[in-house]
Amino acid sequence: MLKNYFKIAIAVLKRRKFFTFISLFGISFTLTILMVLTAFIDKVVGDDYPDRKRDRCLYINNLEEKGKSAMNSGGLSFYFLNKCVASLKTPAKVTIFSGFKGTNTYVNNKKIAINFKYTDANYWDILDYEFLEGKPFGKQEVDNGDRVTVISEDIKKAYFGDLPSVVGKYIEADNVQYRISGVVKNVPITTYMLYSDIYLPYTISKIDYKSSAYRGDFLAILLAASKDDVGKMRDEYEQTVQRVPMESKDYDKMYSHADSYIKSYVRSGNEDKSGLTYALTAIGIFALLVMLLPTINLVNINVTRIMERSSEIGVRKAFGASSKTLVYQFIVENLILTLLGGLIGVILSFVAIQIINSANLIPNLEMSINFTVLFFAFLACLIFGLLSGVYPAWRMSKLNVVQALKEQ
Amino acid sequence: MFKHLFTLIWNKKKQNLLMITEMLISFLVIFALSTLLVFYYSNYKKPLGIDYENVWTVSYSSPVKTNNMDSIAMFYETLKQTLKSLPQVKEISFTSGNIPFFQDTWQGGIKFNKKEIGQVNNYFIENTYKEVLGMKMVEGRWFDKSDAIAKDKPIIINASLKEELFGNESAIGRMVGYDNKQKVIGVVADVKAKGDYASSGFAMYSELDTSSYHWLSRILVKVSPDADAAFESHLYKTLANAMKNSSIEIEHLTEKRKNINYFTLVPMIVSLIVAFFLIINVALGLFGVLWYNINKRRGEIGLRRAVGASGRSVSAQLVSESLILATLSLIIGTFFAIQFPLLNVFDLPAGVYIIAIILSILFIYLLVFICSLYPGRQAAAIYPAVALHEE
Repeated sequence: MLKNYFKIAIAVLKRRKFFTFISLFGISFTLTILMVLTAFIDKVVGDDYPDRKRDRCLYINNLEEKGKSAMNSGGLSFYFLNKCVASLKTPAKVTIFSGFKGTNTYVNNKKIAINFKYTDANYWDILDYEFLEGKPFGKQEVDNGDRVTVISEDIKKAYFGDLPSVVGKYIEADNVQYRISGVVKNVPITTYMLYSDIYLPYTISKIDYKSSAYRGDFLAILLAASKDDVGKMRDEYEQTVQRVPMESKDYDKMYSHADSYIKSYVRSGNEDKSGLTYALTAIGIFALLVMLLPTINLVNINVTRIMERSSEIGVRKAFGASSKTLVYQFIVENLILTLLGGLIGVILSFVAIQIINSANLIPNLEMSINFTVLFFAFLACLIFGLLSGVYPAWRMSKLNVVQALKEQ
Repeated sequence: MFKHLFTLIWNKKKQNLLMITEMLISFLVIFALSTLLVFYYSNYKKPLGIDYENVWTVSYSSPVKTNNMDSIAMFYETLKQTLKSLPQVKEISFTSGNIPFFQDTWQGGIKFNKKEIGQVNNYFIENTYKEVLGMKMVEGRWFDKSDAIAKDKPIIINASLKEELFGNESAIGRMVGYDNKQKVIGVVADVKAKGDYASSGFAMYSELDTSSYHWLSRILVKVSPDADAAFESHLYKTLANAMKNSSIEIEHLTEKRKNINYFTLVPMIVSLIVAFFLIINVALGLFGVLWYNINKRRGEIGLRRAVGASGRSVSAQLVSESLILATLSLIIGTFFAIQFPLLNVFDLPAGVYIIAIILSILFIYLLVFICSLYPGRQAAAIYPAVALHEE
């Protein structure tokens, strides 16, 4: 049966090439747009370099203090995190590190902009940075306040050119000489919590990390021993925060959460507004807008095409085919058409992604088509095919036999 | 004539309803896009308001670890002298972090009599700011020495804020603000601080006093045109030696302007590309459906030709039929679109919406006209004998 439908569908496609072209054009370009969007989102929030243990990790990146007339929200201080996080029992490991900040360095009168980040030694255990050479700095070096650093591949290239190995050499940043202990693979800036050009021990920070203010530039990651402990770890952190006294009389509420990567990634910094809801709504509206016009267009064309086949439908109805069978046949035909368009869409998005990657709009953000992206594309195809097929099929099934046959 | 066409359209209302929906949604998409484009363009046409060439910015983190006001003041005075003594440095100004073309924003409210306005950008600056950025006065005067001892704290506002607060009257000498009233001493031309495509918004400038230096973190430096990377490196070393405990970053306003424009332009270009494909899609669809309709109406057209209608009038009939369809959808579309200026959604000027509506109406008419032109021609080319013979 399906084989027959397939044959009919191909025959219909061949009959009116212009209409086939319009349908395929609409479907494939809509899917291309959606697939590039999916690939982008997948890369930005789905890429698990360098935090490969993401399913066991919780991220703390925001503290909100709220009072009657005052509100203050943003990163946390080293002091606050150290106080709240170090005493936690559930996490297997904990790391506290700063967000990235910019500075310059000058090599042979050429300026290089460098972003730097302060970390502790645990940072390198919890996160699986890929070391191209050398190794991370350890607890000993952090405690001693040694001027050591881990640098990114990009900075190595910009600062040293094509030297094969730079471990043990010195790099100057912020007017200080640091000894290079390792070189890691680049992280795109969209992974903003972990991105940096050079990583330094927090003990040599120029920021006053001992200051007892609650808010500052620091973040933390908690690593659970197993997946089952994650929920417990989240609760424990929240209870600990509840026990901390208010920073000043201006505030009477304090919020800070240890959340999964995606939730903390889109955190809005306002307890009343969930960042995730905002992000999902925005993406949903965009996808709807992109799909709405092509769908209506396709419905329009499908209705036209069906009317063209009124004699065929009339004959089938006259010989006893039920409306249900006809609707089913047409929807299957339409799905075949959408899947064909989807296939072209995949090829087009592959080309589009190559072009976007080579344009290097965001450094180190290499988008790719993987199974997640393909899955979403397939899902979009199905929705698209069903949406644009149902109404014309319903119209067709309502067709009066006598009228359909008479028109010929 | 029109009544006759309406009857023809009404007879095929189901098919036409789909066409109208399609045109309606295309209209709304075009309306949204053209609103943005018109808004950006109207901002782009206005002058930038500052001279950003050869202006560098220095960002630093709290360099002095003391709360003693005198020693802080002395530290900054020494720093100022050191910087000014460099040959390529023309002028410097300490300022709050919200330098033009930076993402940092600092907003508050302002009040005059009963009138209250929110989202006013607050800039805390030194009196050298005007010279560093080449700000232009519209009315009154800039800060000077006498302001330090003035009874009422003086402020300067921008032209947009003056327009909003005082209309055509003079702003000079007016007292504005909440509890601690401030005296307006001058009005400066608008500065598009968020890049070429953003509106300047409201702004007020107040002079920094010595007690505020401890929370500052940025300096604007006007350099001479011959300042190069070698000098920048020298400046960097000088700053790093003067502020031992601080992280320092030097950036150029030319670069910052490029960056902030990029953040406006990239989403714009992406939506333009997406809209372009949507419109091509719609155009092909309209074209296909109209073409098909004409093929179905060969008998009718052949008959009209046989009784003496010219080819021109046949194609005119088909084109006007689709234009009537377009008109119907545009009436509905405009009803929705006009709500935006009426309800003042998104805080854009009404003029922007009106121009956008007119542009979108023209665009849809043009699109429908072009799509029906070729099918119309085809219809005109039908030979009565051939068409009627088929029947």
